[in-house]
Amino acid sequence: MEEQIAALVAKVAELEAASVGAKITNAMFAETFYYLTIPLMIIIHAGFLAYEMGASRMKNVLSSGVKNILAFAFMIPTFYFFGWWVYWGFPTGLTFSEGPAGISGAAYASSIALGWGESAQYMGPNIADQASGVFFGAFALFAATTASIMSGAVIERIQTVGFIVLAIVLGSFAWVVAAAWGWHADGWLVTKFGVHDFGAAGLVHAVAGFFALGVLINLGPRIGKFNADGSANHIPGHNMPLTVTGLMLIIVGFWGFLMACVIVPGEAWSWFADKPSTIYGTPITLSALSFNILMAIAGGIIGAWLLTRDPFWMMSGALAGIISVASGLDIYFPAHAFLIAFSAGLILKPCADWLERRGIDDAVGAVTVHGTIGLYGVVMLGVWASGYPALQGAAGDTPTINLMGQIIGAVVFFLCGFVPGYIVSYILKMLGMLRIPKGAELAGMDHVKVPAESYPEWGADAPITPAE
Amino acid sequence: MFPYSEASWDVVDGAMFIGWGTALPGITTFLAIVVCIAVLVIGGRTEAAKTKKFDS
Repeated sequence: MEEQIAALVAKVAELEAASVGAKITNAMFAETFYYLTIPLMIIIHAGFLAYEMGASRMKNVLSSGVKNILAFAFMIPTFYFFGWWVYWGFPTGLTFSEGPAGISGAAYASSIALGWGESAQYMGPNIADQASGVFFGAFALFAATTASIMSGAVIERIQTVGFIVLAIVLGSFAWVVAAAWGWHADGWLVTKFGVHDFGAAGLVHAVAGFFALGVLINLGPRIGKFNADGSANHIPGHNMPLTVTGLMLIIVGFWGFLMACVIVPGEAWSWFADKPSTIYGTPITLSALSFNILMAIAGGIIGAWLLTRDPFWMMSGALAGIISVASGLDIYFPAHAFLIAFSAGLILKPCADWLERRGIDDAVGAVTVHGTIGLYGVVMLGVWASGYPALQGAAGDTPTINLMGQIIGAVVFFLCGFVPGYIVSYILKMLGMLRIPKGAELAGMDHVKVPAESYPEWGADAPITPAE
Repeated sequence: MFPYSEASWDVVDGAMFIGWGTALPGITTFLAIVVCIAVLVIGGRTEAAKTKKFDS
């Protein structure tokens, strides 16, 4: 009998040891999962860098690069200083109160997301907290992505410091407020209206796209973009292959972006012990992501090719394809995602042309690709997924996904982007910090402010464009 | 609409996409195939028309 008890005790100890091992393994997996999304998302920035430099004329190549690199550098510390706090503090709206899930409000945010006092233990290396840093990293990269989206639209005439101020307002505040409201278990758009935006079509892409529109209205077009009769000239970038390759790199990075939207199972902060979920606690699989992202890329490219035959718009179509189904990547059927992405690829160029005819000089089509298509994706999910759970335990607790809720979400995301973009750029304009002087724009921003040459052996034989 | 009596994923243990259990997946797959073929046909025709101009 004693031998049997001893054997049982030994067995229990063995199982307990194994259980501890499994927990450590799972924590390592969870930590590694988010950690790897960070370099993948940095590939988005490599893409934006190449894409914007390629879309710039030779006289502005390096200044476009400087702007993009510097935005990334300022985004990280400002998101650390206050952006992370905004995400946890704002979900219930301007009351800053605690929401039903108990992970929001000013008090909660101040206890985990400030770099001083007791809260600082969660904002630095901590043996007992393996998650905060990797979550922060993934969110900081979302923030940097919003700044890069705006960056492309304003190339070749914006002041560097003015641009950085705008990037900070967008990346460390405006989109974070939208995320707190529509991409958080306590977010009022989710709990009151059933908004569902798994892959951030609205709260990242539309916010950034329409923030850019607000800036473009105050910034004005590049010299030579529009003729006296209002017709537009095409100002080609100096290197289309670089631009197209950059767009493909953005697509690569998107896999990290969307991977970071998944909550892994088995941790204290997970929704489930045994299955991954969306940020709303609804189930998702990486298989769903693979099926739908791939089909959406294909659909977007095919739609854009049918209408334009232009590699720039084809790759923009790939981006638009993903963005158009991003809200519902967790629940679309692949062929369904393909068709929605195809329609996004089709409407892309006409939407960009419509904007151009209204005097908006969006150098890379960012307002359309990210803004218009982002909202299109949010609303499309309302059309197709009405009645589906918006949040874990949806029945009775939270409205299910519905068209009106998605439209309300789309309007809020539009306002979260456009209003601060317009107001802050207007203030910068009044202060003389928005646009470079005419002489400097004509001379080329590289010549004026970059102590390096992009192609020193090319000489003065660069092709002349209508704007020079 | 959500194809289960209760609007919760707790009642789902398998396929979890819009239209599961209806004709929608088949319809969308068929339409996607049609789109691919149609785009190739249209693309082939316009490309032929463009290249023909340089054929003389």
